[in-house]
Amino acid sequence: MQLHFTKEVENLKVNLIKMASLVDEQAEKAFTALETGDIELCRGVKAKDLEIDAYDNLITTQCENILALFQPVAADLRFIMSALMINNQLERCGDIAVNIAQRIKKTNEHHYLIAETQILEMGRQAREMLKSAIDSFIQNNSELANKVIDSDENVDKLNKQIFTTLIAKMQAEPQLIETCAHMIVLTRHIERLADHATNIAENLVFFVDAKIVAHKKKLERLGDNN
Amino acid sequence: MDIKISVKNLDAYYGKNKVLKDVSIDIPRNKVTAIIGPSGCGKSTFLRCLNRMHEVVGGTITGSISLDGDDITKNDPVLIRKRLGMVFQKPNPFPTMSIYNNVAAGLKLNGVRNKKILTPIVEKSLKQAALWDEVKDNLNESGANISGGQQQRLCIARTLAVDPEVILMDEPASALDPLSTSKIEDLIFELKKNYTIVIVTHNMQQASRVSDYTAFFYLGELIEFSDTKKMFTSPDNKQTEDYIRGRFG
Repeated sequence: MQLHFTKEVENLKVNLIKMASLVDEQAEKAFTALETGDIELCRGVKAKDLEIDAYDNLITTQCENILALFQPVAADLRFIMSALMINNQLERCGDIAVNIAQRIKKTNEHHYLIAETQILEMGRQAREMLKSAIDSFIQNNSELANKVIDSDENVDKLNKQIFTTLIAKMQAEPQLIETCAHMIVLTRHIERLADHATNIAENLVFFVDAKIVAHKKKLERLGDNN
Repeated sequence: MDIKISVKNLDAYYGKNKVLKDVSIDIPRNKVTAIIGPSGCGKSTFLRCLNRMHEVVGGTITGSISLDGDDITKNDPVLIRKRLGMVFQKPNPFPTMSIYNNVAAGLKLNGVRNKKILTPIVEKSLKQAALWDEVKDNLNESGANISGGQQQRLCIARTLAVDPEVILMDEPASALDPLSTSKIEDLIFELKKNYTIVIVTHNMQQASRVSDYTAFFYLGELIEFSDTKKMFTSPDNKQTEDYIRGRFG
């Protein structure tokens, strides 16, 4: 039974890694397009997302089967719970890669603004967070995961700065309103991608260190205020 | 924690063979404490030490066991067993006795013969054991004529009839089907309101479902004792974790 269980868990992890690799490829295409303005890279991103969705369903079913058939406990239970949550986060990252690719096409006419408004820098940071979150999961590395969690604040700050810059740009140059509006949505997608990378990292910490670190900073701030 | 049974530095022997080694544990009142561990780890011996059954099978102990502060080794074992009732793995109703007499057996042994006293206790005990509705019309039938699950609840009723403070259960559901097991587990949940329960089980899921606290024994030693939620999510000890995850034992 133990061998059977180990095999099922390994199989689940292999599928999660395959799914994560697909998400990583999608993000790589979207962010390279963001950097280079090469919208050709965005083609096929949407179609490829279906493969990620298929993994989402497969992994959910695998987790359900393992929970029903083996009733895991302790680290085994935490792994299955993390796998379920990471699966969900990866699926959302896949969707966001599609959204980013679509917005890039709509903003490409004014691609110079991407670098000028720091969207490029924000994209680089979010991309790095996703890569590290996936690596932390593959290597069971909670130290790396904690670095990802700490990085999220930088992306949030950039998001606010870019928003202010884009609003000022729209006021100064009304002909750019449509492009800037698309860019605000684009930055929102990038910010969400960083959030999902953070969630993946938090789930990895839960699995490896048996600690719930989600919402920790917010709850601490709330505690300090009360 | 409100302590019902306090065990200090308990060693238990069969002849020269030491089967429990320096066990110290405080068992909380009106809670279910599960004892888990691989075969031969001393779980059942520990349970038998608590009501002095260990000495009946030729064993000896050193260390102390106190029940609400009373040293059980210094009290009459019959009185101790009245205070700490026991339910065994295999249902063992007295086959020649009726359901009624099975429940009343302990009281009759203690000299209670008056039916006016016995009948309400039999009824109450069968109700507490969640068996009354199933047997109330057949109280004079043999205790051996009911199903295995009912027989086990009959044994629990028999234990309850003498009004113990603690119920010791040695794998009480291991010989039962899932439905009967579920009834016994529901019963344990109800009984802990009034009794302190110590249950030995091989079934990890059962331990996690029914108990408030869990003690893990290995090779005669108490390895870890903690809140059941903690034990089954993030135990402190590596051996405990390996055991509950099915890595050994």
